[in-house]
Amino acid sequence: MADLAHDYKIEIDVVINPSCFGGTHLTPHGYMTIQWYLNQLNKIGVDSVTVAEPYIIELLDDFPMKTVVSCISMIDSPQRAKFFEDMGADVITLDPNINRDFKMLKAIKKSVSCDLRLMVNEGCLYYCPFRYSHFNLFSHVTTAGMRPPIFGDYYFDKCISIRVRDPEQIIKSPWIRPEDIKKYEDITPFFKITGRANTVSWIINCMNVYCSEDYDGNLLELLDCPSELRDLYFIDNKKLEGCIDFWKDCDKLCVGCNYCKMVTIDALKVIDDERRYNKCKEES
Amino acid sequence: MMREDIISARKNLEDTLRRLTGFSVFVPEAKLFSMVCGCVGFASDLRGLLLASVEVSNENIKNLFEDIAKSLSIKPDIIYARKLPGSEEIVGLTVRELCPRCKKEFSGDEPRPDIFVVKKVEER
Repeated sequence: MADLAHDYKIEIDVVINPSCFGGTHLTPHGYMTIQWYLNQLNKIGVDSVTVAEPYIIELLDDFPMKTVVSCISMIDSPQRAKFFEDMGADVITLDPNINRDFKMLKAIKKSVSCDLRLMVNEGCLYYCPFRYSHFNLFSHVTTAGMRPPIFGDYYFDKCISIRVRDPEQIIKSPWIRPEDIKKYEDITPFFKITGRANTVSWIINCMNVYCSEDYDGNLLELLDCPSELRDLYFIDNKKLEGCIDFWKDCDKLCVGCNYCKMVTIDALKVIDDERRYNKCKEES
Repeated sequence: MMREDIISARKNLEDTLRRLTGFSVFVPEAKLFSMVCGCVGFASDLRGLLLASVEVSNENIKNLFEDIAKSLSIKPDIIYARKLPGSEEIVGLTVRELCPRCKKEFSGDEPRPDIFVVKKVEER
């Protein structure tokens, strides 16, 4: 598969980014397993490995594959970026929470020489209170062996419901519009589209839209995490033109500022049944 | 006919919950189900509804689900909201015609920690 991808000049990246290994990586068996696995990836021609765990970043030093640090390492400051670069990072995926903090982005850019990557469409809640817990839950429910028999994904249900009751949270979440990619030229040329668990057609559409840097439609069609809400809300992407110029200088101290609320009122509408029906008809 | 009934049931549920709560409560999915034990029913997935709203609007929700059950030829033995234990977030509302075994198991005010009973199973 790697050879085929290389024939098309596409690099293969393997993601091994749980936030929690439950300590198993620090056991003799865990160490041997990870070493064996990285060896196999290297043998088949994988170009890079995305990881969140510092110990695995060090293990990757022994391989020619590039080390990509995941957004799950929550790199949101020059101090943290430098730490991961010194550990061996070739690429750092920055914490999306700082996507609209240009002062911080520029400071990180100045502090490290490795490549930086920005996630454009994750769409998680801004400084989400569930982020650590949710990543930990994923780590354990997707692991081989003992999986906890959970009764539901509390964090996901809660996250979506919060936005149903308070849609302003969708506007506040730090996505980057396709049109605003050019504002980040001084920071990085590398952008990541999230949502690998979505359908292939969704991913291709998203990729095409971001490549064209132009989109006339419902922003929720492009966002990964709250994609369930694309049948509830319509966010007119064109009405968000210029918001980035406010947000890039915004101190994120929301008390007393109603900017995001006003944007929500202007750009976001509840989709009625007729509109849903027409949309389905158009798509079919 | 069944197709139109289920489409209308989902829409009616969403509209009513929005009217009762003032929030744009979202019903992404509604389905008719049949279980191996013999229970049949109508279940909906929900986003944005809190337990407090179900408690306050209990009677309206009960009436609405009885109407939906009637339109789908289901006997509304029990109506319940599903939540995550310990959380106030409601993730589903269900009306169910119970099989004899489940009728016994679902009796009482709190038959399971993940459900809030909107309409109790009638004592025999």
